[in-house]
Amino acid sequence: MSLAKIGQLAWRNLWRQRRRNLTMLVALSFAVMGVIFLNAFLRGLTAQMADGAINSMVGHVKVLQPGYRDDPGIARSFVLESEWSPEIPAGQLQGWARRVRVPAVIMSERETRGIEFIGIDPAQESISFVADWTVEGEQLEGPGDRRILVGRSLAEQLETEAGRRLVIVTQGADGRSREAGYRIAGLYQSEHSALEKFHVFTGIEAAQALLASDTVTEVSVRLTDEKYQPTVLQSLIATFVGLNVFDWQTLQPMAATMMQLSDAMIYILFIIVMSALVFGLVNTVVTAVMERYREIGMLRALGMRAGAVLLQIVTESTLIMIMGVVIGTAAGGGLCLWLSDGVDLSAFSEGLEAFGFSSNTLVPTIMPADLAFVVVASLVMGVVASFFPALRAVRLNPLEAMRR
Amino acid sequence: MNTVVKCHGVSRVYDDEVAPVHALRNVDFHLEPGEFVSLAGPSGSGKSTLLHVIGALDEPTEGSIEVDGVSLDGLKARELSDLRLEKIGFVFQAYNLIPVLTARENVEFIMQLQGIESSARRERAEEALSSLDLGELADRRPNEMSGGQQQRVAIARAIVTNPVLLLADEPSANLDTNTTKELCELLTRVNRERGVTILTATHDPLVMGYAARQVTLRDGEITDEQRATPEAT
Repeated sequence: MSLAKIGQLAWRNLWRQRRRNLTMLVALSFAVMGVIFLNAFLRGLTAQMADGAINSMVGHVKVLQPGYRDDPGIARSFVLESEWSPEIPAGQLQGWARRVRVPAVIMSERETRGIEFIGIDPAQESISFVADWTVEGEQLEGPGDRRILVGRSLAEQLETEAGRRLVIVTQGADGRSREAGYRIAGLYQSEHSALEKFHVFTGIEAAQALLASDTVTEVSVRLTDEKYQPTVLQSLIATFVGLNVFDWQTLQPMAATMMQLSDAMIYILFIIVMSALVFGLVNTVVTAVMERYREIGMLRALGMRAGAVLLQIVTESTLIMIMGVVIGTAAGGGLCLWLSDGVDLSAFSEGLEAFGFSSNTLVPTIMPADLAFVVVASLVMGVVASFFPALRAVRLNPLEAMRR
Repeated sequence: MNTVVKCHGVSRVYDDEVAPVHALRNVDFHLEPGEFVSLAGPSGSGKSTLLHVIGALDEPTEGSIEVDGVSLDGLKARELSDLRLEKIGFVFQAYNLIPVLTARENVEFIMQLQGIESSARRERAEEALSSLDLGELADRRPNEMSGGQQQRVAIARAIVTNPVLLLADEPSANLDTNTTKELCELLTRVNRERGVTILTATHDPLVMGYAARQVTLRDGEITDEQRATPEAT
């Protein structure tokens, strides 16, 4: 018997119990839509988290002196030739930055705070959150700029403002305390107050002058796509012999773990939602089969082979599943498209900041692989779910089935 | 030509919680090509069981059955299914048409199972329906037809593949007297004009009256056999 005829019979049979099948279809569509949207939401969340981690002056790959992570300071720095730049193909490299980053104490006339004093070349910082901040006052003009940029939150704590002077105390390369007064060029404002309270920026050459050193404490490399990360990591390991080269997952383990967790969450969520629905589908198929025992018996009595009857019943549930997946996917995709400008999560900004989110706006992101997984797994589950009730039906003796 | 049905020493025993039920006891029965035979007897006499074992829908506990020279003994489910499809036409008490298909599609369906090509299928379905005066009902679904009309469609479906044997189990059970008469005349026509061998199990004396041979069963045994006079048929 042709597949077209089996399909036609299955399609018409679906219309025999319109209300029941429509209810099942609506439930399936909602579930698929929900799973797709939640997947996209979680993907958006993890992408945001990864972006936040990379953006917080980590980059995809970072070079550090061994021991710097446990005991940061200018004593754990390294020489970087002035003409050095990473040998990475142009399409793969978004940018790189050298920095001097040391713990320090900042003092105003009224308050004292512990901070991280960071010397940067502003032109290289398009790869970090520095590129996105808003500054009240003036920006740093270059690596030699001796002024400092202070976060707005820190300025409030220090009860100071742009144009005033602050004193920074740190330990120099020779182990002695160094202190210098710096004028505040501007107050920067970032998405998260934690950064504002902790990071104070100046020109890299000014920081080196204070520390009496011409070394750097880190080189950060940002790539256009994470897929290039392993190759670049290996290349930098080969270049910086004796130094540590880390990927961002090692430097931001919490964000990396959260990403892995969300990968698992996507599958767990799918299995829970779809399993519940599969029971519904099994129930629908079992009911449909039980109502049609006599008809199935008659088909078998006329000479329709068991395999063809089985295929017809499985086709019926597969058709519902296909329709549910198509409608659900379209609805889930539509919902994500509707929210493509982002979902405002500013009401939860403090909590999100603690998890390393770089923005209060979350953009749901549909990954083709997730979509393919939902579509294929739903269809497979649909076929498997209807297979056993169908098998039970065709195993009945035709005569026995017709007597029911 | 082969004897259409040969039953030799056929018994069918059903297991029951109290005691085994002997539905058929050592039945010997032959059906020759072109015959129209009715199986009569009270409820539980074994006439439907005999019809079912001959139709390869049930297996005898003992004895042997041949349909058109093919022994049913030892055939697998799939082979039995193919035998029913190729050699036997069925007419059931409850019509048993496929509710989602029209009359024409119901008649074509059996030919689709046989793998007959679409234009030939259509032509033969039209011919079978017209020969049973069902041309105008071809596009109606079963729920849009009366019981008699549905039973005629079921006959069209049963004869369209030119089976060697047509088995009708209580074909008039749900029909009124006039419709039963029409049905019997139709079966007689099919038997005479197409040469289809017909075996029917029935309670209905009206149906029995149209058969050329009446076989009576009681307690699973053939107790009587009568041939109708040519005038009567």
